[in-house]
Amino acid sequence: MTTRYERTWDNRRKQSKQTPADESANGARSVTDQTRASYYGVPVIHKPHWKWLIIVYFFVGGISGASYVLASIAHLVGGKDAGRIVRAGRYLSLAALLPSPILLILDLGRPERFHHMLYILKLRSTMSVGTWILTIFSGFCGLSALIQAAEDGLLSRIGFANRLLLALPAKAIGAIGSLFGFGMSGYTGILIAATAVPFWAKNYRLMGPLFLTSALSNASAAITLTLSLARGTSHSTLQRLEHLDMLAAIGELTLLIMARRNLGPVIARPLREGSLGNIYRWGVLGVGITAPLALLSLTRLKPHAAPRLLAGISAALTLIGGFLFRYVFVMAGRASADDPQATYEFTRRERPLG
Amino acid sequence: MNAAIPLIDSDLVGTTGARHGAMGYLTDTTLCIGCKACEVACKQWNQLPMDNLEWTGYSYDNTKDLSATTWRHVAFIEQLDGTNGHSPGVMPPFQSNWLMMSDICKHCVKAGCLEACPTGAIIRTEFDTVVIQQDICNGCGYCVPSCPFGVPDLSASDHKAHKCTLCYDRMVDDLEPACSKACPTDSIQFGPIDELMQRAERRVAELHQRGVKSAYIYGDRAVGGTQGIDGLNCFFILTAEPEVYNLPAYPELPQDKVGSAWLATLGAAFAIGAVAVAALRGR
Repeated sequence: MTTRYERTWDNRRKQSKQTPADESANGARSVTDQTRASYYGVPVIHKPHWKWLIIVYFFVGGISGASYVLASIAHLVGGKDAGRIVRAGRYLSLAALLPSPILLILDLGRPERFHHMLYILKLRSTMSVGTWILTIFSGFCGLSALIQAAEDGLLSRIGFANRLLLALPAKAIGAIGSLFGFGMSGYTGILIAATAVPFWAKNYRLMGPLFLTSALSNASAAITLTLSLARGTSHSTLQRLEHLDMLAAIGELTLLIMARRNLGPVIARPLREGSLGNIYRWGVLGVGITAPLALLSLTRLKPHAAPRLLAGISAALTLIGGFLFRYVFVMAGRASADDPQATYEFTRRERPLG
Repeated sequence: MNAAIPLIDSDLVGTTGARHGAMGYLTDTTLCIGCKACEVACKQWNQLPMDNLEWTGYSYDNTKDLSATTWRHVAFIEQLDGTNGHSPGVMPPFQSNWLMMSDICKHCVKAGCLEACPTGAIIRTEFDTVVIQQDICNGCGYCVPSCPFGVPDLSASDHKAHKCTLCYDRMVDDLEPACSKACPTDSIQFGPIDELMQRAERRVAELHQRGVKSAYIYGDRAVGGTQGIDGLNCFFILTAEPEVYNLPAYPELPQDKVGSAWLATLGAAFAIGAVAVAALRGR
């Protein structure tokens, strides 16, 4: 009878390394050589069908959640002249939220059955948790946008609703809703990390923070862009947002470098090779992070050189980079799922067992 | 209603593994002759359409992979000489250096697809097998990348996820599943998994005795299945490293990462909140 020790593959591998003569005696390739070869290049796992609909959803959903968070924080601690940030954040959050369920439902194989997700909550299924986060967040997001509309006097014709909305505790609603706003921006990273796809799962602790930071950077950029286009935005408001833009970009860059290092050469192949690698290098890192950082540093060095224009351009570049980040990460996941070597690498484990 | 299908018994149909009465397959690759009777029987019984009508050039394998319409897939692995790429001159003890293996859904004891499913369409049956309920599935496709073995797939025709049901409709009528019934060499053996595991252990011991020292059980519960996944209800006797058969060596349950992923995200949310408060604070 074989022992427990002999049964585990780690120990078998060790044994075969110790006695290579056994393997090569009959002229066949060593086992490890065959391992490198793969089965005619057929993928070990199946890649998800997610493409443009999901990439766009990851982008707008992230902006929606993070805009809401920024608006709520500005409302809580921003003082008097944060009113513009609050207004822009709340409206942007709603505008970015509206397409989200449509994109998700269209992506289903059977869109008419979307409600099947709403009869059950499974905490270990991030798709299920995300469905509920989106559903609950929609309520908060819509309510806060309505409160903003009432404050802006857009609902003055409907006297009762106007009075009711103005009487609601907007700060408390914003604070609780922000929890779901964070969930909205971050769950997408966990959604893709909790799969068998090497490119996503290898960095399972970094994907949530990465998507969250990128969403914050995009939301901050979206608010900056809106306010830089709006007339009468004060210099101090823009400065505060620029400060946030810079910190978010630095955070995103740090997380991206950490993620890239952790992937290792085989699993990170989609980031290095081909058009995806170029989009990552020049689009995500160049246009999306380095260029805005340079522009924002410029406005700090020369505070009076067209601050509004520079802030607007850097925000637009950040948004382009944020979209490309999601494009690259979804497509790189698909590419790594198609690469048997990436899966072998990911499922190989060196730790001793038993 | 057919009395043989206890669909409402909550003890029998749940989302966690009920170990009593677990049924599965032992696929002994040392007996496989690559006849593909299992593929054909599966397609016939489950009325699966043909797919991939082409020559792949992958030895005798024209099915390539498990898919929504292929629930059994016979892999043909020609092990060539390392130095010149030809068949080796000296043959190892059996099968002429030609490995054949009939792959199938592993019906994992902790199943990634089942845990990923956001609609509850994927259930564990009274036979401890994992089945996708076609009247619930809405084709979200999350089970597809959540399976560490690449089993479920979305169908191009009805856009829902499909995979092996371990012939649930035959088992409730006390019939053996189609593929094992059709297997002419008993390479595919069906039965209660405790019994099958004992049989597998005896067979591996016998193979070792007869000179096939490399034989082992893939999905051996005694050593924690594949280590990351606590056990497979459909396990295999293999004679080369798992990767040679295009199987992952130590697949992990993707959902085991959800907890720490949320913790990390929560930490990031705190940090981001603090940064935003500092940046947006009014003077």
